[in-house]
Amino acid sequence: MFVIFGASGDLTRRKLLPALYALAYRKMLPERYAVLGSARSPMSSEEFRNAMEEAVRAHARVEFKQEVWDELAASTYYVPTEFGDDHMHDLVTEKLTELDREHGTEGNRLFYLAVPPSAIPMLIREIGERRADDGWSRVIVEKPFGLDLASAQRLNQEILRYFRENEVFRIDHYLGKETVQNMLALRFANGIFEPLWTRQYVDHVQITVAESIGIEGRAAFYEKLGASRDVFQNHLLQLVAITAMEPPIDFDADAVRNEKAKVLRATEVDAVVRGQYGAGYVEGKMVPGYREEEGVDPESTIETYVAAKLRIDTWRWADTPFYVRTGKRLPRRETTITIQFKRVPQSLFTHADGLRPNVLAIHVQPDEGVSLGIGAKVPGQGMTVRTVNMDFLYGGAFRTGLPEAYERLILDAMRGDPTLFTRADEIEEQWRIVDSFRTPWADQVPDFPNYDAGTWGTDEADELLHRDGRSWRRH
Amino acid sequence: MSAVSDQEWTGRDVTIAQIEHELAQLRSDSMDMRTSVMTHIAWAPPEWQGAARDTLAGMAERHPSRTLLLFPQDDERDALDAEVSLQCYTHAELQRHVCTEVIELRLCGRVAQAPASVILPLVLPDVPVFLRWRGEPPFGEPVFEQLIDVVDRLVVDSREWEGAPACYAKLVEVFDRVAVSDIVWARTLRWRRAIAERGGGRQLRVRGPIQESSLLVGWLRSRLGHPVELEHTDADRIELAVLDGEEIRAREERPSASDLLSGELDRFSRDPIYESAVAAAL
Repeated sequence: MFVIFGASGDLTRRKLLPALYALAYRKMLPERYAVLGSARSPMSSEEFRNAMEEAVRAHARVEFKQEVWDELAASTYYVPTEFGDDHMHDLVTEKLTELDREHGTEGNRLFYLAVPPSAIPMLIREIGERRADDGWSRVIVEKPFGLDLASAQRLNQEILRYFRENEVFRIDHYLGKETVQNMLALRFANGIFEPLWTRQYVDHVQITVAESIGIEGRAAFYEKLGASRDVFQNHLLQLVAITAMEPPIDFDADAVRNEKAKVLRATEVDAVVRGQYGAGYVEGKMVPGYREEEGVDPESTIETYVAAKLRIDTWRWADTPFYVRTGKRLPRRETTITIQFKRVPQSLFTHADGLRPNVLAIHVQPDEGVSLGIGAKVPGQGMTVRTVNMDFLYGGAFRTGLPEAYERLILDAMRGDPTLFTRADEIEEQWRIVDSFRTPWADQVPDFPNYDAGTWGTDEADELLHRDGRSWRRH
Repeated sequence: MSAVSDQEWTGRDVTIAQIEHELAQLRSDSMDMRTSVMTHIAWAPPEWQGAARDTLAGMAERHPSRTLLLFPQDDERDALDAEVSLQCYTHAELQRHVCTEVIELRLCGRVAQAPASVILPLVLPDVPVFLRWRGEPPFGEPVFEQLIDVVDRLVVDSREWEGAPACYAKLVEVFDRVAVSDIVWARTLRWRRAIAERGGGRQLRVRGPIQESSLLVGWLRSRLGHPVELEHTDADRIELAVLDGEEIRAREERPSASDLLSGELDRFSRDPIYESAVAAAL
């Protein structure tokens, strides 16, 4: 039984139901299943199905086939709930019991909490106190998981009162992306990269999580979070962990997560800068600054951009900086992990002004794939050397559409595999890192806005690398 | 190499995401190898659009790149229209097809005032970005200023400009911001070689375009470190160069516009000799 709390929200419409539909299309759903949506909005199951059919038609990755939807719709229901209302939760539980009988789901329940962070503790209690005796219960919790270390610890304690760690699936949808998983394949399925993946050969690492969109009407949400809590704390630090982790002993969930947790424990912030976008041009059109967005405080000090120099205190990465940045209203939507290798010790070539150090770039999105910049001789007379890129494009190699992250993650949660979900200790380490720079921010008044929409961020972010004799790679 | 196929998509009032999506679609429909060693941007006002397309014909074979053709145009709409194509060639030695991407963008209305915000999402990562500016750049105007801040090299042909050598004064001002190539400078190469073989000189007489003549004398002044007088008469190409009364004979070469542009796309860093020549031509 797949139970969605917050079923009338955007996430359900844009991601969850389209993902379930894609799984149904690929015949990946279990033989016996049901979907129950629940939210404050009063509506019937029929109305919910109609709304979800529209959502699937608009957002599903695969083509719409009426027979596939009809089969999914026949097992899809809706019950209104008011969070914190015991009676209404009893009604949800009754409905679940009824659906268990109808669909033979044997009390197995996967709860997806697509609700605001403030509602999660209450919902956990309501669900936990009504756990079925039969079958298994698992809970998927959306980000942000807490707002700082203390609140994340409290939330973990609350969840672990009712669920065991292996029943909790803290979702970071970046981990469901094929290219993020491919990072593990790239590193640990190829003999040629791992020996070079150390401080001896790597000059530095850059990770960029860039969005070209603004806050898209989510002012109330974003004003509480900012870039450091919305993206840095989760997606960005998970990418750091996957890039820097030691080889796990196997691909078991805890083996992988142990190694990621070690990296996060060893990570410290050497320097950080923040920014907020002002008005500027994106795709040729003027867009408003953050403070001019609807619903945003005109004096807001919420950051829409963060760049940091991270230090990972391990034998593998000592003295090898990880420069990371994330922001909104940057020139393009792009997530890339870049490993820049050290220069050759001596340049033999006089005509080599087009030669740059080797760079291995893992393109998480868009243009999913890997490219390696290597020096090559320009054909013809003389010995002119320049950098050319060898591209491996996922789509070109496998010629198959990449599944949406949510498809993979929902399926993993149904199967009980938490490998691609974040464990409690990882979450808490991530908050420790973020708190280490957010806490001093509370006493400072930033001079915002300090970058124009449509640019790559603040001058201070450039300076962060320039003072080390480096620069952000060109995107 | 020979052209084998073009696949294309056209859209009106499009977003960058649509362009990226269609490019990805074209690539996935093609089993060919994609190759790019640079992003090549051409800014071509309406009167230069035909010439820009002609020059680029065949360029992809020598400089496989992502090509962005920027066509600003007056329009009531503030919109971006796009034509996206994969141009594929048969590479005889590799026995396979090689494809490059050409994105033709019509910057309509006010979108033409913010071209950098259009190209930034489309430039390829980690490879150099060249901007070929057709016609005389509007030095100091936002359109030009914002573009030179996001490219590695500006390529101009000052034969397309009025008022040489005085017009070079504004060009000199951008040397510290972007590496510059002038195709006129490439055209003077055979004459510079011939003059260098003779050496010295106080007085240069040139029958040819004023731009070539100015850069030649600027080059002599900057290399020799003393004044050199220029006596110039106009012609479509350099027909005669006389140094201190002695006629200079240069080897006959007539490179095409594509050849000349191609040569400039092989350069990556600033050319201090050219820069000194321009400054001394004033």
